[in-house]
Amino acid sequence: MLALAFRAGTADLAIAARNIVEVLPRMPLRAPSLAPAAVIGLLPFRGTLTPVVDLCLLVAGRPAATQLGTRIIIVSIGTGAGARLIGLQAEDVSELIDCSVTTRGLHMPEHAWLGDHLAEQPGLPQLVEPAELLPEALIALFTRQPAP
Amino acid sequence: MAQRDSQLASKLSYFVGVFLALFALFAFLAWRTLDQVRVKGPLYEEIILGNVLIADVLPPPQFIIEPFLLTLQLVEETDAAEITRLVDKGNELRIDYENRQEFWKRTLARDTMGDLMTVTSYRAAMEFFRLRDDDFIPAIRANERDRARRVLDQMQQRYDAHRYAIDEVWKLAEQRNLANESKADGLVQSQISTLGILALGIILVVVIMAWFARRAAATLSQRVQLVSDVADRVAQGDLTTEVPSTDDRDETGRLLFAIGAMTLSLRGLVTRVKQASVELMSTATEFAATSRQQESTVQGFGASTNEIAAAVKQIAATSQELLATMEGLNAVSGQTADLAEQGQSGLSSLDSTMDRLAQAANAMSARLGAIREEAAEITGVVTTISKVADQTNLLSINAAIEAEKAGEQGLGFLVLAREIRRLADQTAVATLDIEQMVKQMQTAVSAGVMEIDRFAEEVRSGVGTVDRVGGQFGQIISQVKTLSERFDTVNHGMRSQSQGARQIGEAMGQLLDGARQTSVSLREFNAATESLRDAVSVLKQEIAKFNLGH
Repeated sequence: MLALAFRAGTADLAIAARNIVEVLPRMPLRAPSLAPAAVIGLLPFRGTLTPVVDLCLLVAGRPAATQLGTRIIIVSIGTGAGARLIGLQAEDVSELIDCSVTTRGLHMPEHAWLGDHLAEQPGLPQLVEPAELLPEALIALFTRQPAP
Repeated sequence: MAQRDSQLASKLSYFVGVFLALFALFAFLAWRTLDQVRVKGPLYEEIILGNVLIADVLPPPQFIIEPFLLTLQLVEETDAAEITRLVDKGNELRIDYENRQEFWKRTLARDTMGDLMTVTSYRAAMEFFRLRDDDFIPAIRANERDRARRVLDQMQQRYDAHRYAIDEVWKLAEQRNLANESKADGLVQSQISTLGILALGIILVVVIMAWFARRAAATLSQRVQLVSDVADRVAQGDLTTEVPSTDDRDETGRLLFAIGAMTLSLRGLVTRVKQASVELMSTATEFAATSRQQESTVQGFGASTNEIAAAVKQIAATSQELLATMEGLNAVSGQTADLAEQGQSGLSSLDSTMDRLAQAANAMSARLGAIREEAAEITGVVTTISKVADQTNLLSINAAIEAEKAGEQGLGFLVLAREIRRLADQTAVATLDIEQMVKQMQTAVSAGVMEIDRFAEEVRSGVGTVDRVGGQFGQIISQVKTLSERFDTVNHGMRSQSQGARQIGEAMGQLLDGARQTSVSLREFNAATESLRDAVSVLKQEIAKFNLGH
């Protein structure tokens, strides 16, 4: 089992490879009008406009550093017809780590998206479920409503 | 008067007495000499006695009695040595006879006595000597006594003839002597009587002369006494004396007249001298006062001149010192000009050096700019490499994710993707290093460029400063040169001033000498005036002695 390690603000995090669609380099994005601050733009990806959320803004309240390590991780949330692709911009996206051994960390109900710690990796990164990561309001924004 | 008269008269009597006494002494001596040396006088008798004595003692050489006696001795003699001695003696006697005969031949007159002496007696004597030497002595030598006696008889006849002649001569000489003696005696007697008459006459003349002289002396003495009295009174200053005139035109009369004239003219002269001496006295006093005043004036003038000369000397000394100082200053300014010129040439060489330095700085700056550009290019390349590495990393991540999704089939691919990702990471790290190094290099180059720029700026400002300093040096040189000319002018002035001061000093010295000489002359003049005054006062005293009768 492999997971993609990254950093958001001061937190070392990881996402399981099976949840990841593709990793894209950082690119200049245009933030959609009136969108929440965390949504930094819409990325055309495989024929659809994929909203991109800056995890650094979301977690630490500051935008991600503009460097090569900062990349956009395309993940898929939801299943079936309600499945959506979402871009997550994070820092230091450059390493795939083994995530077979996990250990339970602190239990914080308000931050349920923070999963188990990868006990064998340096910095004890925490596994993150993308579907739980985003708040409901944001998810709602991204869920395509069927045309009336 | 009587005394002087008696003096003159007694002197005359004394002279006459002495003359007579000396004359009497002379007459006595003359008479005594004549008496003594006259024939038959005492001296004459002594001389005759001496001659008679000699004639009586010596054998007569002109009477051959001794040779005759020798022949008589030889007839009896038998000793050979004695014969030889007697013969020699005979020969000597013959030589003596002949010598004396020569004398008498020259001396005696050719009268009866002379013929008897030099002819008759001589012939008989020569016959005698011939017989003796030719016949008698050979017979004696041959010891023929008889022949010798015969010859001796003949010789005796000759001897007798000779003796007869000699006797005649003796008689004649005796008669002549007696005649001569009586003649000389008469002569002396007559001379003595003449001498006595002469002496009597001389004494008579002298006595008459003494009488006349005594009379003349009495008259002369009287006149001279008169003149002497007048002269005595004149000498005592009494010029009122009247000289008695006389009609005599002889020497004493003229003397009296001259004394009278002299007294008169002396009286006039003394009167005039008296007046003149009074005037002279006042004049001398005025002279003395004036010359004293002049002397004090000249002394004041000399003192003033001295002060002026001292002041001028000081001025000359000061100007000399100033001149020396100016010369020193001139030398210093010349050195300054030289130094400034050297500085200027040094600055021009410094200027060119600075220019070269600025060019070098510019070149260095340009090279550093090139280096910076190169570094920028390197940075671009490194960025590209970084991007490539990043892309590779991304690719490998995506590949790994796909491999993970593929499950068992994707395992090998997963390994490959990991390797690729590792290479990409290393590349990224290397590029990071390179980027770092390039950044450092760029920083260093930037700092170098800044330094060079600053250096170049300093060099530029240095060049400017050098140019400015050079200009200032030029100004200094030109100013120093003008200064030197001014120094020359001032020097010239100083020298002429010093010379002038010296000339003034010399003139002052001459003036001072003149004043001193004038002062000395004035002092001498003063002294002369004093002595004049003294002389005049003495003269006045002397004149006061004269009695002018009014």
